[in-house]
Amino acid sequence: MKIKDRVLIVEDEQSISSFIAAVLEANGYDALTARTGSEAVSAITSHCPDVILLDLGLPDMDGMGILKFVREWSTCPIVVVSAREHERDKVEALDAGADDYIVKPFGTSELLARIRTAIRHTRTPLPNSDIAQSGQFRAKGLVIDYDKHQVLVDGENARLTQNEYKLVSLLGKHAGRVLTYDFIIRQLWGPGAKSDNQILRVNMANIRRKIEKNPAQPEYIFTEIGVGYRMVDPD
Amino acid sequence: MGSRPGGRGKRRLQCWAVTAGLLLLGCALSGALLALDHTGGFVSMIFVLVVVLVARLTDGYAYGAAASFVGVVCVNYIFTYPYWEFNFTISGYPLTFFTMLSVSLIVSALTSQIKRQEQLRVETDRETMRANLLRAVSHDLRTPLTSIVGSASAILENDALLPPQQKTALLRNVRSEAQWLIRMVENLLSITRMGDGTARLSKELEAAEEVLSSVAGKFQQRFPGIQLTLTAPREALFVPMDAILIEQVLMNLLENAAAHGQSSAILLSAERQSAGAVFTVRDNGLGIPEEILPEIFSPALPGKLHAGDDRRNMGIGLSVCSSIVKAHGGSMSACNVREGGAMFRFTLPMEESEEVLS
Repeated sequence: MKIKDRVLIVEDEQSISSFIAAVLEANGYDALTARTGSEAVSAITSHCPDVILLDLGLPDMDGMGILKFVREWSTCPIVVVSAREHERDKVEALDAGADDYIVKPFGTSELLARIRTAIRHTRTPLPNSDIAQSGQFRAKGLVIDYDKHQVLVDGENARLTQNEYKLVSLLGKHAGRVLTYDFIIRQLWGPGAKSDNQILRVNMANIRRKIEKNPAQPEYIFTEIGVGYRMVDPD
Repeated sequence: MGSRPGGRGKRRLQCWAVTAGLLLLGCALSGALLALDHTGGFVSMIFVLVVVLVARLTDGYAYGAAASFVGVVCVNYIFTYPYWEFNFTISGYPLTFFTMLSVSLIVSALTSQIKRQEQLRVETDRETMRANLLRAVSHDLRTPLTSIVGSASAILENDALLPPQQKTALLRNVRSEAQWLIRMVENLLSITRMGDGTARLSKELEAAEEVLSSVAGKFQQRFPGIQLTLTAPREALFVPMDAILIEQVLMNLLENAAAHGQSSAILLSAERQSAGAVFTVRDNGLGIPEEILPEIFSPALPGKLHAGDDRRNMGIGLSVCSSIVKAHGGSMSACNVREGGAMFRFTLPMEESEEVLS
């Protein structure tokens, strides 16, 4: 018998929770549901799900509380579900250790893609194991060479500056995941750096002009407005 | 104007400056005329005029009253015999003071009243706009909801009777109507995000190309069949905006081009011009009917378009677009292109205007 990945759905709206469960079960996952924060906590501790789909607005407990509680002892991937008008929430959730987010209302294909990515990332213990083995990140025409500290586009050196290289290499190490502006700034310029993301944006605008064919239709680095950047999944 | 805490101090300073300036002007004029004509009968008239102007151009009563007091002192001390000396025994002197003070109070009262009425009118306009919008929205919501409830009941109640294709067709219908409702709600959320027009937008510098590509990604998920071409500015262009609202504007424009214009290809671009950052959405579809072009951004449009066609969302979407752009201090226009298709274009100012900063 095939062992299924277990997804815990923490969602207080019965109708949404049951449709997500139906979609997941139809696609080969084992779906568990929890309607309150306390139910969620007991389900997480007793069932050890492979992915947690966490709605931030719960009746009895703040979703952020559950996120922090789980992060104290587990690296289990958590995908946060947020509403469009609360864009601060998803940034906070990502900074508090959530792996990804999805915005209501979402389609089933988007939901399945996020869950697949989240599960894949737990299977690779290092941010990206390919990099550890080959010293390179490859996605379509883009190669980040971690040994030589350079970025090649279709075989040609993109001639990035040092800061630009640091930014691209960081995104490459966490490919497929959204990195928030604050996270990137802390990684690049240390914890004391002023969290002014203007320098970051200017750097990114320059990088895009060096590595993308059309900066308005990027192939490699995507912007999640108000949240951060995401590198395309490696080949 | 005076309602913003930051602007209040500045406005007060402005009022004092106006008061002082007009009084100095009055003094200078009186002095000059006095050199020509020693009788000085006109001096009080000049100061009455100064007091009227001060009361008209400033807020409240204080400035006008102060001006009339200073005016009386000036008239007495400087411009009437004996010069540079107070003389309260001149006949009719209390009358001059009384006249100036009452003129100032009456004009101030009238000025405040006019301002209050103006504010009241703006509020009424806003209320009317809201009521119109609410009416249009409620009307527009009923149709898809009826269709969703109807399709769902049809499937539930006739499960055994309906052939699978028909069930699928009904479910597709439910999905597309629900998606339409989502878009409508997103537009309504944008309106609440802008608040009642007095709240400031949460603007941040955003790279134009990032906004374009983000919108394009979402749009292509919904309409994968449409060829979308994006043009980024050659130099990175950072524009102060509320990105969520501007995305909504671009999304509405793209959806209109796809759904109402039945376009197969859309050009989306951003460029720097002298007036600011210009965003353009150009399609190769049906274009805009000439008869609605003049009032295309008016919130009254949805009712007129409602003849059972699929243009329900267009009017509200466009009036939301134009309100968002206006709230950014920009402008928006629409036209038909000679080669076919419609072109929507809006400009956002590159610098924060002084009013926003104060």
